[in-house]
Amino acid sequence: MSGKAAQPKPAQKGESKVSFFPAWCKRCGNCVAFCPRGALKRDQWGYPVLADSDRCTSCGLCEMLCPDFALSVGEGGLKPAGAGAPRGSRVAPITSPERLAPEPNGGEEDGNG
Amino acid sequence: MPPVHRSVVYDWLRHDKKFPHVWCPGCGLGILLGSLLRSLVESGLDKNQVVLVSGIGCSGRLPVYVDVNSVHTTHGRALTFATGIKLAKPELTVITVMGDGDATAIGGNHLIHAARRNLDITAIIVNNQTYGMTGGQYSPTTPLGAKATTAPYGHIEPSFDISALSATAGASFVARSTVYHITQLDQLLGQAIAKPGFGVVEVLSPCHTNFGRQNRLGSQVDMMKEFKRKGMRVERWRELPEGKRAENIPLGVLVDRDLPVFGQSYQRICDTAGKRGEAGK
Repeated sequence: MSGKAAQPKPAQKGESKVSFFPAWCKRCGNCVAFCPRGALKRDQWGYPVLADSDRCTSCGLCEMLCPDFALSVGEGGLKPAGAGAPRGSRVAPITSPERLAPEPNGGEEDGNG
Repeated sequence: MPPVHRSVVYDWLRHDKKFPHVWCPGCGLGILLGSLLRSLVESGLDKNQVVLVSGIGCSGRLPVYVDVNSVHTTHGRALTFATGIKLAKPELTVITVMGDGDATAIGGNHLIHAARRNLDITAIIVNNQTYGMTGGQYSPTTPLGAKATTAPYGHIEPSFDISALSATAGASFVARSTVYHITQLDQLLGQAIAKPGFGVVEVLSPCHTNFGRQNRLGSQVDMMKEFKRKGMRVERWRELPEGKRAENIPLGVLVDRDLPVFGQSYQRICDTAGKRGEAGK
């Protein structure tokens, strides 16, 4: 399979291998439940986080089992429009802020939502 | 099979206007959508060569999210529209996406006759064993004894086996997979698209919102784990004794045969008739 398009480079140690697009995430938990190495955990709002980066083998199962295209493994992926926006912010008309959890650092509910 | 580069997959999505999609959190249709895009990219097809046709239901929303030629048609008639498209423009790759109720109840006649004619169309039938969008009424694939909105004491009718039905009706490629067996699903969809003739891929998908809740099957994670527990390669399933087959689901390529394709026979008729017409002038 040498004629294929360039594959994403394997991530270096300590580098985040999984990128999350919280604005598209519906917190269904498929990625956390089916990660074969248990590298993903839910944060306090139910969003997935890469809790143990060293355990992640970049197999890509979380990406394939995500119904919402809300995460991708490795680098080089084109970010979908509006999907990289921080939680709780109004970025695009298609992204309803009501369903977004508040920013973890902000601490307070997003009053605009 | 190496993973398809995700930027290519996002390129095939209408990601700047339609997302996040309307399906429930954890719905198998989103997983199927990703799988379909990966198989289309793997097949080396151009966006302009592909037509996605759907009927009504949750699955009917699927073509809306893909940046190809897409047609969202009336209930059960996805295959009829697809037939017209394929015969008018035989060079296009026509794929229909239907739910179980859409394909076997409202469009049941169209399914068996499209399979009998062996049109060069790929039919993806998403089987969630219920009418999910309208509130969980029983469909032709609801298992005997299962609860539904219209069967609160348990369903009293036996269910359709979509794969067996299409194989008997004459489809040249029939396969079954689940949204849990995702790499297998990618491969089967690719094979079905490449196969000349009518290709049916039955995709078992969890409807935890309606079917799962009424039958106390838990979340979509529990339902997908059930697919994992019951799913079995069809080669292994055929070796099982008769009594043990019912509790397992055979997955993989169930039928793969070469049969005359309707489009080619139709073209021959057109050529013959054209020659006679010219001779008569």
